[in-house]
Amino acid sequence: MPIALLETKLYVPRSQRGLVLRPRLSERLDRGTASKLVLVSAPAGFGKTTLLTEWLAARPDALADEQLAAWLSLDRSDNDPASFWAYVIAALRTAVSGIGESALALLDAPQPPPIETVLTTLLNDLGAVTREIVLVLDDYHVIDARDVQDGMAFLLDHLPPWLHVVMASRADPALPLARMRARGELAEIRAAELRFTADEAAAYLNETMGLQLTARDVAALEARTEGWIAALQLAALSIQGRDDVADFIAGFAGDDRYVVDYLAEEVLARQPDRVQTFLLQTSILGRLSGPLCDAVTGQGGGKGMLEALDRGNLFLVSLDARRRWYRYHHLFADVLQARLLDEQPHQVLDLHRRASEWYEQNGELPEAVRHALAARDFERAADLVELEIPALRRTRQEARLRGWLEALPDEVVRVRPVLSVYFAGVLLLVGELEGIEGRLRDAERWLAPATGDGAEPQVLRAEMVVADEEEYRRLPAQIEMYRAGLALAQGDAPGTVRHAQRAIELAVEDDHLCRASAAGLLGLVYWGSGDLEAGHRAYSACVEGLHRAGFLADILGCSIALADIRSTQGRLGEALRTFEQALQLAGEQSGSVLRGTADMYVGMSEIARERDDLQAATQLLLRSQELGEQTGLPQNRYRWRVAMARVRESEGDLGGALDLLNEAERLYVSDFFPNVRPVPASRARVWIAQGRLGEALGWAREHGLSVDDDLSYPREFEHITLARLLLARHRSERAERSRHEAAQLLERLLLAAEAGGRTGRVIEILVLRALAHQALGDIPAAVGFLDRAVTLAEPEGYVRVFVDEGPPMTSLLRAAAKQGTRLDYVRRLLAAASGIEHPGRTEQALIEPLSERELDVLRLLGSELDGPAIARELMVSLNTMRTHTKNIYAKLGVTNRRAAVRRAAELNLLPRTRSSRP
Amino acid sequence: MNAIPAGRRQSPRGYEIRVEGHLDTRWTAWFDGLALTQGTDGTTIIHGPVADQAALHGLLQKIRDLGLPLISVNHAAPDQPPAPAGEPR
Repeated sequence: MPIALLETKLYVPRSQRGLVLRPRLSERLDRGTASKLVLVSAPAGFGKTTLLTEWLAARPDALADEQLAAWLSLDRSDNDPASFWAYVIAALRTAVSGIGESALALLDAPQPPPIETVLTTLLNDLGAVTREIVLVLDDYHVIDARDVQDGMAFLLDHLPPWLHVVMASRADPALPLARMRARGELAEIRAAELRFTADEAAAYLNETMGLQLTARDVAALEARTEGWIAALQLAALSIQGRDDVADFIAGFAGDDRYVVDYLAEEVLARQPDRVQTFLLQTSILGRLSGPLCDAVTGQGGGKGMLEALDRGNLFLVSLDARRRWYRYHHLFADVLQARLLDEQPHQVLDLHRRASEWYEQNGELPEAVRHALAARDFERAADLVELEIPALRRTRQEARLRGWLEALPDEVVRVRPVLSVYFAGVLLLVGELEGIEGRLRDAERWLAPATGDGAEPQVLRAEMVVADEEEYRRLPAQIEMYRAGLALAQGDAPGTVRHAQRAIELAVEDDHLCRASAAGLLGLVYWGSGDLEAGHRAYSACVEGLHRAGFLADILGCSIALADIRSTQGRLGEALRTFEQALQLAGEQSGSVLRGTADMYVGMSEIARERDDLQAATQLLLRSQELGEQTGLPQNRYRWRVAMARVRESEGDLGGALDLLNEAERLYVSDFFPNVRPVPASRARVWIAQGRLGEALGWAREHGLSVDDDLSYPREFEHITLARLLLARHRSERAERSRHEAAQLLERLLLAAEAGGRTGRVIEILVLRALAHQALGDIPAAVGFLDRAVTLAEPEGYVRVFVDEGPPMTSLLRAAAKQGTRLDYVRRLLAAASGIEHPGRTEQALIEPLSERELDVLRLLGSELDGPAIARELMVSLNTMRTHTKNIYAKLGVTNRRAAVRRAAELNLLPRTRSSRP
Repeated sequence: MNAIPAGRRQSPRGYEIRVEGHLDTRWTAWFDGLALTQGTDGTTIIHGPVADQAALHGLLQKIRDLGLPLISVNHAAPDQPPAPAGEPR
């Protein structure tokens, strides 16, 4: 669900005040947009915003047409990356409609990806823009959140040349400014340049404001204000309509007081009481509208007053085209507020309370909370926060929730069980585990049933505060849920199970999400401990709950767990159906592709590969890639490469497999799932196949693996890999000890895998035991193990687990064939091992087939000819040749010539030129 | 001056912040009750106990937002009267 955006923040603010044209600065801005970043950095009141609005407005139409402007006025609430980037994209969409659609979808996803993925998607989108865009970020100094600043640095690093960022800030932003300066990527306009020069001051005072001051007076004002624009504006307002101008200026010039203070007092004193009161009372508002001002002042006529102030140039800035919303100039608002605080400190709280009520009635809860906190009306603020929690959770604004909870006094939070529980939830999310249990206990005090030990619980309950009864009913289960999460974070598996089961028992009828989450935690623990059946049951319950709760995207993530469990159990057909059902579910969603869809294709590819349909496996991976990164979970980037590496391995391209695995390791990101097939172990397997046993030994040492280890499911894949390494050493060095150790390890692994019902692993272990006996020359024993493996493998169509073992397995299969058991299947395996193609493969397994001409180009790409030579050969222009090449790369899903040739060979697109593979 | 490790639990410490210009005492409430003393050299010292580093930075931000040129920030005993203005410290 998208965050609600305020349009007033995207509007180029305008003030009615006449202004001085400042060509020297406009030119600098014009030139500045050749750089990546234009930084307008100066204290308050130096005319930063005005300079930028005037510059944008004064551009000739032709330029404004070529150079689109996007404006964003930032405020403190934009320190949440979700909010900040949603606003940046919304601002860009005011310039180029519809841009950034997929990036916005990513931000709204139930599991938002890393912000860099969102920004990469946005940058891709911006690539299609043909005109220049100037993105203005006003008041950037309010941004102090590290993750927002990092995202901005990333954006600037990858900025396309036609996008320019302009920042106005009172402080230099936390960006690598020195580096950007050195590279000429930064243009700056600072206080020294922004100050009015003597000429500009004269022009402003005498022409714009029509004051007819003498040169001496102008000089005196300019000297006293040091060209500070806000002060000169105040001075002009003070002087307007005065008879004693010279005296006033002399008095001002001879005074030491803070310029703005002195002048604001003069300006205020010249207003009628009614206006003065209005200005003071409404100074607490960040934004002003007629109705809001009426609510705060308790008087009518707010709209008319605002219009009058606007006409009278009294520091009002218009925030929309219809002149409904305004704000005071920041500096002026501060001066007014300080005065209000000094003169009527008690009224301040009342004013904030009334503002809070107005915002609540008008459905802007965040502003209502802000003003309630400023009113120190913590009960009211706490009520509002409690009511806003469901929305905040839906939009994942946990940072904001935490900020509010921390702004409330602890004693207010502690008597509110709903707030206490979600405080614990926020702490769990950011990994601050210490405070969690205390918060949960606070909540539990109010939930404990009054079990006969006197009146105390009743008394306590009388003090309890609940604003959201609906949430309150859900708390007992939610508390246990967070306890389960805490236990999991602390590595306490039994505790996780205990609390998660309790959460399921306690969940109220319609709290499907809580039941689903608890079931998911159970699944995680059971899966990690190797109890696959229990894990599958729990994840199935989780999926059912997610279905009922309508959290469809999360079902895709669970499907990966369910299918992985089934594959490990040797039930490939069921695993495949799990992915297919998930895809069907995702397909039923209208609109954008559900996140996790790309992952389903990767899972299906692995099954296709195991069943020796390497073309289908490749196609499924390409399909996953085509869907785009935003349709994959964060883990898909590395899982895709692992799957592709296995395809390459099966094709005999070990070098290619290794490259992919190295990439996968770099891209690895953990999720909560047990890491049951670590990437380094997969790489060690490739090393073993390449005979790089030294490197594989290094891997085993680095990961502390030994044949004497206790066996556990999470390390099973590594231990099987270790057994492979020992067998390989035996083959290369004839080291009897290695063979013996391998045999012993495999025997133990077999018992464990059989006991755990992990048939998929049992098959692989049996294959290795068969190879171990074969190495010893004991063919009957070897065939015996192989026969067991074949028996288990046949119903599910396993092929590669045998065939990938190469020639020794081929000879064993031949021996098995002589014995005549499961002859059809063994023959099929032998056929696969000798590389005979299965019937029924299409000529071109591409989604978009290559044209005849493209096939010609592709053929020549496989030759030694360079680009111009190929063009000559085909008698086309170099440009045409390049277009063909581009199309070929796109259709093959590759980015360079070598990969294109390799992919063509894999897909058997060019039988005549099929090169020999390593 | 002793270094104060950020983030460590601290009791309030005294600070003296000197800015350019005379700031009226009515700004006391704006600066959360800190005392304002005007110096003879046209500066003002904002002084008193500051809860922690975060509060100090919040205070400096308020000064920045008023466009008051900042001259110095010094650590002082919370109850110590400010040094006479006019002599740079």
